[in-house]
Amino acid sequence: MSATPAVSVNHLTKVFKGHIGKGAFRAVHDVSFTVEAGEVYGLIGPNGSGKSTTMKVILGLLNATAGDTRIFGIPSTEVASRRSVGFLPENPYFYKHLNGRETLHFYGKLCGMSGEHLKSRAEEMLALTGLEDAATRRVGGYSKGMLQRLGLAQALIHEPQLLVLDEPTAGVDPSGSRIIRDLIIEFRTRGITVLVTSHLLEQMQEVCDRVGIMAHGRMVREGRLDELIAVANHTEMVPENAAPALLAKIDALVQAEGGGTRLLRSGHPRTTLERLFLEATHEPKKP
Amino acid sequence: MKRKLQAAAVLLVFGVLKLPLEQRVTHDLRTMRLVDEPLHLGVKGNMGQIGLAAAFGGLRGLIATIFQLRAHVEFTRVNWAQVDKYYGFVTQLQPRNARYWEEASWHMAYNAASYYLYNQELKPGLRGQLFHDYVKRGSDILNEGLQLLPDNPRLWQKLGDLHWNRSKDFKAAGDAYWNSFQHGGLNFTERFAAYAYAQSNDPASWTKGYAILKKLYNEKKATPGLIEFLKMLEQNLHIPADQRISDAAPVRKTPDPQAGPQR
Amino acid sequence: MSEASPSSAAVSVAPVRFSPQRVWTLAYATMTQLMRMKILPFLLLFCVLVAAMGFGFSVINPEQQLSQFKTMSLGVLQIFSIVFGIVSTALLLPKDLEDRTLYTILSKPVPRFDYVLGKLLGVLMLIASGLVIIDAVLSLILWVQQSMLFDAAVAQLHTEKQDTPEVVAQMREIVARQGLTWNLHWAVWAIFLKAAVVTTVALLLSCIASSTLFTIVITFCITIIGHGHAMIREFVLQPNLSGTSLRIVSFLLAAICPDLAQFDVVDSVANGEIVPWGAVYEMTGIAALYLTVYLFVTHVVFVEKEL
Repeated sequence: MSATPAVSVNHLTKVFKGHIGKGAFRAVHDVSFTVEAGEVYGLIGPNGSGKSTTMKVILGLLNATAGDTRIFGIPSTEVASRRSVGFLPENPYFYKHLNGRETLHFYGKLCGMSGEHLKSRAEEMLALTGLEDAATRRVGGYSKGMLQRLGLAQALIHEPQLLVLDEPTAGVDPSGSRIIRDLIIEFRTRGITVLVTSHLLEQMQEVCDRVGIMAHGRMVREGRLDELIAVANHTEMVPENAAPALLAKIDALVQAEGGGTRLLRSGHPRTTLERLFLEATHEPKKP
Repeated sequence: MKRKLQAAAVLLVFGVLKLPLEQRVTHDLRTMRLVDEPLHLGVKGNMGQIGLAAAFGGLRGLIATIFQLRAHVEFTRVNWAQVDKYYGFVTQLQPRNARYWEEASWHMAYNAASYYLYNQELKPGLRGQLFHDYVKRGSDILNEGLQLLPDNPRLWQKLGDLHWNRSKDFKAAGDAYWNSFQHGGLNFTERFAAYAYAQSNDPASWTKGYAILKKLYNEKKATPGLIEFLKMLEQNLHIPADQRISDAAPVRKTPDPQAGPQR
Repeated sequence: MSEASPSSAAVSVAPVRFSPQRVWTLAYATMTQLMRMKILPFLLLFCVLVAAMGFGFSVINPEQQLSQFKTMSLGVLQIFSIVFGIVSTALLLPKDLEDRTLYTILSKPVPRFDYVLGKLLGVLMLIASGLVIIDAVLSLILWVQQSMLFDAAVAQLHTEKQDTPEVVAQMREIVARQGLTWNLHWAVWAIFLKAAVVTTVALLLSCIASSTLFTIVITFCITIIGHGHAMIREFVLQPNLSGTSLRIVSFLLAAICPDLAQFDVVDSVANGEIVPWGAVYEMTGIAALYLTVYLFVTHVVFVEKEL
């Protein structure tokens, strides 16, 4: 692990000033966490828990009331910290009058890219996100999933080392969600740090190395995912094509062990609705 | 909040510093006759909301044109009071536009005056009175314009035409034509000044007219009309024979000298 | 996609400098965004209306027709450029904020100053383009009209047997002064300068307020006050007037609002006045000063704006 964390949040507090007749609102209260370089960190919590606010402070879109946030050691308040960050906001929206390719060129130029390098990088991102066929179509005609993928493409256009994804699968259908999930896993294998927020727990469980759970503006739990969700004293075994006689023998062994060890349940494991959906929608059509 | 206070402070400081600069630029542009004096609302009639729009919207020229079009409509309806009113607004909005003063005067001194003079529905005495009133109104308009544009030769020329054609005040006509010539008017205004002086009843004016016509004669710019009036002035001023011009007076086609000079 | 090694996660801390390319990218995107809002068809319609106006009025004389045409068309052009500048600028920032486009832009290494400057330049580029097109159309119409009107006037004088060389020369001078001259282009330049100042004020207000309607209304109020600035200023400088509170209010208005009457040379140009180089320099200089200061204040406000 690199000595410099990708993201460090130290005692962050954010208070939104109230309007006339309304008091101030404390969105984030003394939150601290670190995202190490190369890992996928999930910031999860219910709606209104302060996830998006925390993210915006990290990106310099909001100013902290107290505490500080850094990206690869550079304070978030400095524009230079954004050189290495790609951001996908929740429900991204782009200039409708541009097509997909023009949108990527636009964001690439904002990052200082130009010429052939920008062109080739844009084509690469369009291919990565499966938008080559829609590259010349106006963004105004894109579906939700396509917008999300375009958002990913623009976040990656300048080869950032940190990706910040705010609810990347919100409103996206299961197959689109799967594509995004697979991309996140691929980013990790390539050493890109990912900070992702979501309140879709199953998806986060599949991709994150570490998670932080926020509620009411505070960090309530934080740590490695497998440590957090493992039920320490339960063990799961899933044999395939096991004969009933074998299952009976295993049951008898557990009972013979005694000392508090017991078989809690047995039966056929269930697939998930998501897997079922994917299998059904990808079945070859019958002649 | 700190930044907003900083911004407010910068705006205020800049605001204070810019006031004398704006004053100077405005003064320079007024000197160059590119920017008008502020409109004084309520001094002359009530332009209402349109006047306010003109004053604060920077659209004086556009509003003046609209008023001028309205005046034209009233002209077609021979509603002379409204024509006068609208042209009043026009000249108030665009006081340095000589053309508006000229048109306003023309409508009063020629169109309105003639309308009343030939209006058979009115008694003869009233027709004459109205005729003179409107001719005077036209002359007043031009004089008002000349107070703002004292060096405009065209307005002086139009004033001369008005006095010659309408009020028959030849001394005033001569003075007006002479002022036009002095301020760069066309050459004929010099001659017309002399002709007007020649037809007045004022010996001092005859002397002026004689000096002008003699100068032009000596410069070999004599026309039949010039010779005619020169000979008339020689007679009126009892110029000695040896100083008179040798040309014979041209034969007039009309007996009335006030029909105008021969050209 | 290139691999990023965790051991090379540390990045350089060179500051992000002002970038003309970045500003141009934002300006061009803004301009095309506004153009896709069907501005050009309106421009063309305006040109057709202007052309029709040129031949639509009953006339007394050529001078009047030319002057009327210039007054009407330049007056309408002035309204159009100010309205467009205010409304389009007031829409830009709130729209970017509402659509979250602003987040994706400012999450890139884009200084906030580059963003506001790019937005402003985009609007100004579109206003300038429109004015150039309309200036070309106006010039063409004036050039055609002045020839036609002069010929018609000379024919009329000939019919009335008044076509002496002096009168014809006077008519030529009048028509030439009212016709197509360089002063027309300076009038259009002055219209652009005024629209630029008003647009910058609108941008400043849209950074302070989130409401588009508020920005539009207040900017229009400032525009109106700006045209009466000379009156307010002279009131403030009068030593003998009483009413301290009124004078304080007038002073604040005069300090905050730009004097837009300084760019009102349109009427004088329509009347045939000449615009000397000194006037052009003064108008341009003071407009540049307004733009610089208002843009600086916009930056100060926007830097800390909560998004």
